[in-house]
Amino acid sequence: MVRFKNRWLLAEFIPIDSNSSKSTTSKPTPSGRPLDGKIIWSALRQSVLDNFGDVGWGAVAPSLTIKYFSSATSVAIIRVSREHHKIAWAALTMLLSINGVRYIPNLVHLSGTIRHAQLAAIEHNRVVIARYRALAKTPAGYQDSYDSFLEKSTLEIEGLQD
Amino acid sequence: MFFDLNLPIPSKLGPVSKKGKEKQAAPAFSPAEIDALETKIDLLVHLGYTVIAFTQTVYKKVDSKTHVNVLDAVLGQLKSRPGIVYLKRLNIILDEDSEKGFGLINANIPLCNGYDLISLVPTTHATLSLACLTHTLPSPLTAHIISLPLTLPRFPYHLKHTLIRTALKNGAVFEINYVGALGGENDPLLVDANAAENGPSAKRNWWASAREVVRVTKGKGVIVSSGVVSEADFRAPRDIGNLLTILGLPQNAAHDASTRIPKSLVIRAETRKTYRAVLSEPELIVPPNVLAQLETSLPMGVDPSTSVPMKRSREEGAKESTPSGTGAERSKKKKKKGNKE
Repeated sequence: MVRFKNRWLLAEFIPIDSNSSKSTTSKPTPSGRPLDGKIIWSALRQSVLDNFGDVGWGAVAPSLTIKYFSSATSVAIIRVSREHHKIAWAALTMLLSINGVRYIPNLVHLSGTIRHAQLAAIEHNRVVIARYRALAKTPAGYQDSYDSFLEKSTLEIEGLQD
Repeated sequence: MFFDLNLPIPSKLGPVSKKGKEKQAAPAFSPAEIDALETKIDLLVHLGYTVIAFTQTVYKKVDSKTHVNVLDAVLGQLKSRPGIVYLKRLNIILDEDSEKGFGLINANIPLCNGYDLISLVPTTHATLSLACLTHTLPSPLTAHIISLPLTLPRFPYHLKHTLIRTALKNGAVFEINYVGALGGENDPLLVDANAAENGPSAKRNWWASAREVVRVTKGKGVIVSSGVVSEADFRAPRDIGNLLTILGLPQNAAHDASTRIPKSLVIRAETRKTYRAVLSEPELIVPPNVLAQLETSLPMGVDPSTSVPMKRSREEGAKESTPSGTGAERSKKKKKKGNKE
């Protein structure tokens, strides 16, 4: 079978505030222009060009797409071809900053199908919300705005098509 | 479980005055610095690391008169996290002056026992052979980690295969700090000592030198650690594994570099507290009344050839059960040898 195979990367971007030393894993504070799928794509493109040159970009470009990005949790689903996904992954790791703000790119999940990437994204959202709730120490069963966020984002993620 | 065995603690000691050879008081860390350290640890835990080793770097030599273990002060002030292990590591930068001796001598054993891991950063060929051949032999002063300076232009020495192989056979590991791959900031003490460089060419040198290290060691004794000073340079362990795959390391070795190999290294480093890395054999402690029964029953038709060796080992076990420590292990080892002959 000569099917074209892809890899789906679920990446989380952790912002680092260089001024304050407060822990940024508790609550992300958007600073400057909010992130967008296109901005991430151009930042990733620049990283591939810097680290792997034109050859690397030529290998990765035809299939590189940002399928989903949530600005609330800074999570992106990126599609790359299977043969050259390591180049894109390494370029993602070596990404230092986007739009002048320093970020730590953290790959949460790598899968071969979009289905598993969706499941991992939903799971990751739930883990993040659970972490916020644990920090805020809300009693269980308390209805807060996170529930509606979870529902909305789950619908968005499920709606992704290849 | 993922290991990060190099989290540099900035050295706070002021310039050592040549005349005053008294010990300096343990420097106190201000709350802001402790906060910064806590955020780094939070980040590491978020990225998935469970074992973190704090590194104190010393340049040229360890002087027992002036050396202060700053890590004890730091660890005391950090809040405890369940499930996360903190280790202490001493990092010694070697250069031409250290060829004569740099403090890893028997007199400094009590100082070295305050650290869980000892590592060396050789910058010349002579210090590299010194580190690989003599300092990896099992003893209370073994340096288990050899950290190569990867960001220097033109790797200062040719990595000779026989040296590396001896070090690996003795149980040492070679460390790759991933901060150089990102062009991040290295520990300022390393930069001052000419063991690291910050700058655009540092990244290129890192990729060249790290590839060479991977090639010579064939991926066997390689660990990867952060060496990161500024928070934004931390990366998750699987991301770093991917970078190592690009260097030529096979995928399982790249994953082992942050899990299996540092794990066995930490356990091996604990053998510094034993005699020549011999972990003691379990002792059989026989209650005295059972021993008396055996002694009385022996002349009554029990075959002496088979039972005597067993009885002798049991008697040794009973004798050695009271004195404890390395002396007993040593003497028991000798006795066992005599027994088998």
